[in-house]
Amino acid sequence: MTSPVKSSLEHQLKALLPRGRVLTSAAQLAGYGADGLGYKNHLPDAVVIPADAEELAGFMRGAKSLGVPVVMRGAGTSLSGGPVAAQGGVIVHTSALKKIRDINTEGFWCEVECGVGLNDLDAALKPHGVFYPPDPSSGPVCTLGGNVASNAGGAHCFRYGVTSNYVLGVEAILLDGSVHRFGGPAGGRGPWREDWKRFMIGSEGTLAAFTRFWLRLLPLPEKVWTFRATYPDMKTTEAAIHALVAHSSYPAAIEMLDPRGVAMVESSQMACGLPEGSFMLLVEIDGPEALVNARVQSVAELLRQAGSNDVMFSDEEALRQKLWKARKASGGLLGQLSPSYVVQDAVIPKRALAEVLQLVYDEADAANIRAVNVFHAGDGNLHPNFLFDSRVPGELEKVELISKRLMQRVIDVGGTLSGEHGIGNDKSAYMPLVFGPDSMRLQLSVPAAFNPAHQMNPLKVFDNRRFVA
Amino acid sequence: MSTEAMTPDYFSNCTHCGFCLAVCPTYKLTGDENNSPRGRLRLWSEEAAGRLPQDKWTDFYTAECVGCLACETACPATVPYGEIFEHVRHEHVASHRFKPKLALRLAAAAVTRPILLNLAMLPARLLRSAGLSVHRFLFPGSPSVLKSTAAYADELMQRHRPTGPRVAFLTGCLMEAMFREINFATVRVLIENNVRVIIPEGQGCCGAFQEHTGLDGVEALRDQNRRAFGPLDVDAIVSNSSGCGYALGKTLQPGKQVRDVLGFLGELSPVRRQRGHNDGTRVYVDLPCHLVHGQKAAGIPANVLDATGYRWELAPKAKDCCGSGGVYNIQKPENAQQILADKSAFLNEAEGAPVILGTSNHVCMMQWHSAGATGLVTRPYEVRHIIQLLDPGEKFSIPSNSPQP
Repeated sequence: MTSPVKSSLEHQLKALLPRGRVLTSAAQLAGYGADGLGYKNHLPDAVVIPADAEELAGFMRGAKSLGVPVVMRGAGTSLSGGPVAAQGGVIVHTSALKKIRDINTEGFWCEVECGVGLNDLDAALKPHGVFYPPDPSSGPVCTLGGNVASNAGGAHCFRYGVTSNYVLGVEAILLDGSVHRFGGPAGGRGPWREDWKRFMIGSEGTLAAFTRFWLRLLPLPEKVWTFRATYPDMKTTEAAIHALVAHSSYPAAIEMLDPRGVAMVESSQMACGLPEGSFMLLVEIDGPEALVNARVQSVAELLRQAGSNDVMFSDEEALRQKLWKARKASGGLLGQLSPSYVVQDAVIPKRALAEVLQLVYDEADAANIRAVNVFHAGDGNLHPNFLFDSRVPGELEKVELISKRLMQRVIDVGGTLSGEHGIGNDKSAYMPLVFGPDSMRLQLSVPAAFNPAHQMNPLKVFDNRRFVA
Repeated sequence: MSTEAMTPDYFSNCTHCGFCLAVCPTYKLTGDENNSPRGRLRLWSEEAAGRLPQDKWTDFYTAECVGCLACETACPATVPYGEIFEHVRHEHVASHRFKPKLALRLAAAAVTRPILLNLAMLPARLLRSAGLSVHRFLFPGSPSVLKSTAAYADELMQRHRPTGPRVAFLTGCLMEAMFREINFATVRVLIENNVRVIIPEGQGCCGAFQEHTGLDGVEALRDQNRRAFGPLDVDAIVSNSSGCGYALGKTLQPGKQVRDVLGFLGELSPVRRQRGHNDGTRVYVDLPCHLVHGQKAAGIPANVLDATGYRWELAPKAKDCCGSGGVYNIQKPENAQQILADKSAFLNEAEGAPVILGTSNHVCMMQWHSAGATGLVTRPYEVRHIIQLLDPGEKFSIPSNSPQP
């Protein structure tokens, strides 16, 4: 903190946050250099932790005059470089805004502050017999603010849908300090612009700061059965996926681990007895007890018919949780294999699954890069993880080249860049592969309407979206 | 090892997934990512890689860590956080970036000299056995003032002549000097369950005190305990303090495993205490961090808790830290008090008469006792080691159907 510019920034921030915290020392900024993509480092000039929503509003009223980018951050579990200061500036960490303000079991909605943790919300809802369906794997730590900003998904979105299906309303503060409500608990009736809330969901922090949300809830399913089936090859696995999607039992989740993912789980503390070299499907059905129980055998039979002689299913909570834990911790498990990884998030038509996976293996093998696939098969939402060592010169470049080729193929088969992680600055370079110049111009006009100088989270989503003071 | 000597490889398992944030007591307290395992690892690795100069804030965030190791349980990438933290803390103390409080430096010197410590703590034992608690951490109890656990165990072994498994018992430094009644109860419970108890001569402090403070001397203590426990031919080495058991376990690995005495008893189906039909006691069981996150035990076995004869349930957030953190409640009393406030709030409304908070680590017991002494809990409650709830008292005999070797 020697430069006069920085000390002036610190001074201004302290004036804006009399109760919250202002971090400016080098060692205080270092912890905020990265999100879930740990190998990429973008140091902010300052971090602020507002004490509450009121102080966040106060900060936003003065933020424009700071003349530096403003980046919102929840728990920093994003896998796309969303909540990092790509162009420097101030990171606003919303960790103190974690109040669950209301749970309305009659109207099936809740009101939460943006920093509420996803699983904390789940735990609070459970005694009321209701739940909030989106379930990204980072659930134990990620926040609702980040979920809404990236329109998060998760394993059970195959049936339940993604975050946007459950956001009834958003309260947002623009850089001029004005507070806006888009939608609300009554599902849109009221003096607010219900339809505009869709602009907010998935906006990746480029429009406004979120303070609170009204979220739609569902009654907890009475009964849940979890299946796991292993297959000898991708072809039979794909057949099983197609059969499941078309089946009237309509699973809540269809997840896949490839043999490299299976090996990773089996050599870890999460091991659950999966046969070596197999492709594993994790399937769940839920609903009213009598109805779901009646479907168990037909789902098991379907999994066998597709070519598995290893089908197991259980309604026992401990066993089910063990399987899910292994699936959901897989991002972190990669750390046991490799210092860094890039995960892609492309969505493709399911008919192209085997073809695109083969491309992943071929490209990775040719470049001598390890690839592990663990993903939402029912949605065709791929998550190829490319393992590398960012300290070895050239490795990141190899991974980026594979990613680019993969993205081109994804688009050729009719897919798109991201299912749930968002674009951030990790996939912004691929945007022109999907969108033509007219579309890009139109999309860019949206953040420009909310903050014309692109002060909110610049260099995200659009490569050339830069803040000019 | 110093941070300078640590290659960045040492940190490379961390993929930055952030799962540790949600379980970290200081992140929950401050909402500052630097004050989380992921944040601290980033500061240490950036410094080790030469990208971040030494900074007083790195020292601050390092000192803030409770060392509860909940992050190790949450970490899918198996980052050896505890080991890294221990190295960094020691390096910070050695290079004067951090100075433990004077009381802790004196205590660290004392624990390496058990005779001196036992003598110095004699007044404390006297006061406790007279029913006078003089400090917020001193929970009530009646320790033997003069007789050692070793002498007591010898006496009981002669009297009862158990024939079952042989165990070597770590009596600990503070446990022996201050809370000896828990050691005595441990000896009685083991012998009642037909276990042959030996107290190895020459054993020393487990070294946890040095680990917690970052002070020198841990290696000498480890060597001492390797000599005392290493050559023994016993069925198990047991400890009645999860922190000490964890520290001794690290010392004797590989080769020898150290068991928590309650986990060990769980395999023997311990003798059950009978309580009156109208007994309204309710035991709330808190699980020490170094039992579940350090030793990686699933918890305290249900059959052991059932054998107390009391109605019991896990305390809310039983696997979260109480703020004790070895010496954390002395080094960082404000943080420790805030962590405890959140953990102990339930006791004010908890059902039962009387209410007992049961755990298996003396430093956690001290912290839990302070909740009453500092006004966080305003209703009466007792803090007891679970082994004390299994205690048959002075007059007991080994049941004839006890397990045989």
